Amino acid sequence: MAKHLNRRTVLLLAGASALSLASPLAAQNAGLRLAFIPQENPEKLLGDIEAITGWLASEIGVPVEGFVTIDHAAAVEALRNGDADISFMGALPFVLAEAEIGAVPLLSEVYRDTPSYTGRIFVRRDSGIGALANLRGRDIAFADPISESGYLYPLAEFVEAGLIEGPGQAEVFFGRVYFAGGYQQAMQAMAEGLVDAAGASQYADLLLTPLQQAEVTWIAESEPIPSHLVIARPGLDAGLQDRFIDAMLRLNAPENREKLRYLYGPDGYVRADGAAYDGVRDMARRYGLLE
Amino acid sequence: MRNIMRVLLATLASALLLSGPVAATPAKEAPWLPEAAAYRLTLFLGNLEPLPWDDIETAWTEPYRGSEFSVGALAWLDRKSDIEPDGLLDAIMREDLQAVFAEATRLVALRIEENLDRALAAEESATAQQAVRTARELYRVFEDGIAAADPEAARRIGLAWLELNSSTGSAGVLGAGATSADRDTMATARAAISGYLAENYLIDDFAPRRTLSALPETAVASGRTIEVPPSLPPGSDIFDQEPLPLLVLNFEEQGIDETDLPLVAYGDMLFDSAQIFGSPARDLGIACSTCHNRSDVNQRLFIPGASHQPGAIDVDGAFFNSIFNDRRDDPLDIPSLRGLRFTGPYGRDGRFASLRDFTRNVVVNEFGGAEPTPFMLDALLAYMLEFDFLPNSMLTPDGQLTEAAPEAALRGEAIFNTPFAGLGDRSCASCHVPDANFLDRQAHDIGSVAPAYEGARAGALDTPTLLGTAYTAPYFHDGSLPTLAAVVDWFDETKTLGLTEAERTYLTAYLETVGAADEPYEAFDTENTTFRLAFSELTTFASTLDTLLPRRDAEHILLLTDTVAADLSADASTMSNLAARPDVYALAENLAEVSAAVRNEDWEAAGASWSAFKAEAADIEEGAF
Repeated sequence: MAKHLNRRTVLLLAGASALSLASPLAAQNAGLRLAFIPQENPEKLLGDIEAITGWLASEIGVPVEGFVTIDHAAAVEALRNGDADISFMGALPFVLAEAEIGAVPLLSEVYRDTPSYTGRIFVRRDSGIGALANLRGRDIAFADPISESGYLYPLAEFVEAGLIEGPGQAEVFFGRVYFAGGYQQAMQAMAEGLVDAAGASQYADLLLTPLQQAEVTWIAESEPIPSHLVIARPGLDAGLQDRFIDAMLRLNAPENREKLRYLYGPDGYVRADGAAYDGVRDMARRYGLLE
Repeated sequence: MRNIMRVLLATLASALLLSGPVAATPAKEAPWLPEAAAYRLTLFLGNLEPLPWDDIETAWTEPYRGSEFSVGALAWLDRKSDIEPDGLLDAIMREDLQAVFAEATRLVALRIEENLDRALAAEESATAQQAVRTARELYRVFEDGIAAADPEAARRIGLAWLELNSSTGSAGVLGAGATSADRDTMATARAAISGYLAENYLIDDFAPRRTLSALPETAVASGRTIEVPPSLPPGSDIFDQEPLPLLVLNFEEQGIDETDLPLVAYGDMLFDSAQIFGSPARDLGIACSTCHNRSDVNQRLFIPGASHQPGAIDVDGAFFNSIFNDRRDDPLDIPSLRGLRFTGPYGRDGRFASLRDFTRNVVVNEFGGAEPTPFMLDALLAYMLEFDFLPNSMLTPDGQLTEAAPEAALRGEAIFNTPFAGLGDRSCASCHVPDANFLDRQAHDIGSVAPAYEGARAGALDTPTLLGTAYTAPYFHDGSLPTLAAVVDWFDETKTLGLTEAERTYLTAYLETVGAADEPYEAFDTENTTFRLAFSELTTFASTLDTLLPRRDAEHILLLTDTVAADLSADASTMSNLAARPDVYALAENLAEVSAAVRNEDWEAAGASWSAFKAEAADIEEGAF
C-alpha cells in the first residue's frame, strides 16, 4: 500500500471534479432550461439530467439544459424569475404555482396505467390499531407539510371520518404530529415503533425492507390524487412547448422507455389535464394554502 | 411518489443495512454517503484476518463499488467539509487498526455535528432540512450498534431526529403554507443527539476493540456481551443475477412433478435455505442458491474483502467461518453446478471424490452450519443430482456439432481435435473429451495457477466442462480471463500453439457453440414474474409436509416451515400484483402456525394449518405475480 498517504496525494488520486448542484446554467437563447427536484442523491441526479437533456436536445432540436433546485419552492421561484422554462413538480406545489405565477401544466406522470395515486394511513400489524379512531392520542408521522399524499390527503381522511374538525386541528386529535422529511422517513418511524402511524403514498410501504413490509398494513386510503407533473412558466414559446411535449410523449415508446429512469422512473407520461387537479385546488383551499 | 416509483423499478427498497431477515430475499440498500460507506467498509474489513490494508485505504480513496457518487470519501470531504482527515490517513499509513477505528469514528461523528451546526444556523427551512437529512444519513453508520446495545437510547435518538426535522418549519411554496422554525425545539432535539455522540463516538480514547463495530463506547466499556446483527458493507451485492439462468432438472424434463418427489423437493428447499448455514451467512440470507442461481452461477455476487471481482468469492476466508479461515486471499470464480453428476471429483482441484463429502464441507466448514442430518444430505444430493446441462441443438449427445452449428465453429472443431506439440502432442479434446461432456474427470496443471511457494506442485485443477460456458464468463479458476476468446489467446500464447488469427477466431466460435444453449435464461413477462417462480417453488417445498407430518419429523418440518414462511413473506415484497400481497402474508402465517403447532407437539393443529395452507395456496395461485 502507499506509504506516503496524505490528503494531497489522496485527492490527486481521486481526481475529483467539482459539480454544480444548485445554480442554473448560463442562459441560452432559444433553448430550454429544465429544473429538477432532488429526491435521493443530487450528484446522481446530475448524471441523469445529462443523459435526458442530451436526448431531449436531439429530439427537439434546441439546446436543453438542466439544473437541480433545493426543493419544489425553489423550482417555482426559478420558473417565476425566468431561470427555468420547465420544471418537474408535485400536484400541490403546481396548483400553488399556477395560482401565483400562472404556471402551465404540460404532462402528468403515469404509474400502473393511471395518472393518479392515493395516500394511506399505515400502521404496524401488531399494533392492534384497526381504525382511524384508534389513533386518538397517538403519534403519527407525515412526510412533509407541503405534500399531497404525504400529508394533506391522508389527514383529510380523519376529517372525513369526523375525528378532526378541520385543517389545523390535527394536534387536538393526535398525541404528536411529526413531519419526518419524506415518505421513507415517515414509514421507517412507524415500522420501528417510534410513532403509531404514518401518512404517506400508497406505495410507501415498498420503501421498507421485505421483512418490515410484512409487518405493516394500512387502515385508510384517500381519494385518488392526480400524479406529479411537468409544468412550464407562463409565456414559454408555444411551438417550443409543443415540441417538448411531443418529445416527452415519445418516451412512452418501447424503444425509449429505458430513459424514463432518468426522470423519476414513471411508467410514462400523458398530456396533463388541468381539470384533473381541481380536487387538489379544493384541498389547498381547505388548508388555507389557496384563496 | 417519485421516490417510491424509482425504487419500485429497482424491485426492492430499504433504508436499512443489508442484513436482517432470515430469508433468501436480500433488501436493496439506500445509497450511503461516501464517508458513511468508507466507515462501514472500514469496520467490515478491519475484522478480516489477515487485515486487507490496501482495501481499507481504497475504502476512503475511491467510491465504493456501485456507488452513485463519483468520488471517494476523502475527495467528498474535501468538497463538503471543514474536517481534516489527516489523523485517519496517518493511522492507515501506520497500519494501526485501533487508531484507524478511533479516527474514523470521530470523523463521522464530527461530520454529523458539522451538519447539525449547519441545520441550527440555517435561515431557510429547506437548507436546515437538507442538513438534517445529511446528518441523519450519516448517523445511520452507528444505528445498528446503538440499537443492539441500548434500544431505549436508539428510540430516544430516533424521536429526536423526528423532532428536529419537524421543527425546521417549512418555506411553503411562494409563501403559501410557510411555517417558521421552532428553534428552541431544534436545539433541544439536537442536544439529545449530540449528547449521545459526545459520550460514545466523539471521545479521545476508545477502549481497545477486539472486533470493530458501531457499538457505543459506553456499551463496550460496560463489558457486556452484545451481539450486533451481521451486516454486509456498502458495495456488497448478493442479489440474483439478471437474466436469471434457466434451471434444467432431469425429472422435470421427463414430465415428473416435483411434488411427487418429496426427497428432491426437500433438497430443493435446503438449496434455497440460509438456515442450514451458520452466522453470518444464515443471518444475511445467504444460501447455496445465492451463489449458484438456478444451479448455475451468480455473475454479480460480490462481497468486499471476500470477492476480488463480481462472481467470485473466497469461501475459506475470514468472513464466513473464522475457524475455517485458511488465511489465503484466494477467491474462486463461482463454478456452475449444471450436470453435477457427471462432473466429479468436486472442488476446483478435485479434492473431494464424493459429492456428499463436498456438500458437507460447504455446509459445515465453509459456511459454519451445524452438522447436517443424513436426511438433509440425502435430500440435497437427490436434488443436485437432477441438475442437467442446458439443451443445445448445435451439439449431439456425444459432443459432435450438428448442422445447426455455424461454419466457423465447424472449422474450429477440427482445430480443437488437432494435437499440438505445446500441449504434449495432445489436443484440446484430450482433456475436454467431447463424448464425455467435454471433461476427463482429471486434474491437470496447465500453468494457470501461480506457485504459492518455490517448488510447489499445487497448480493442478479439475478439467471443467465446456457445456453452458457461453453464459458463465469470466473463465479460469480465478475468473482472470473475461471471454472465451481470451481463453483461446491464453492457450495460444502460453502453449505456443502458433494459431493464426483466423484459427483463433474459429476455435473461439467452436467454444461458443459448444457452450451455447437453446434457452439459457428464464423467460419472464408481466404475469410470469420472478415472484410467480418463487411462489411455485415455495409451495412445492411445502408439499413435503405431506410426507413429513405423518412421520412427525419435527426437526425437518421446522427447518422447512421456518425457511418457507420467511421466504414467502419476504418474496411478497417483489410482487407486481400489490393487491394480492396480503393473501401471501396470510399464507405465510399458515406455515408459521404449522411451526407453532409442531413446537407444541399439537399434530392435529399442525395438520389443520397445513390443509388451510394448501387450500389458500390454490386460491392465490392465479394472482401470484
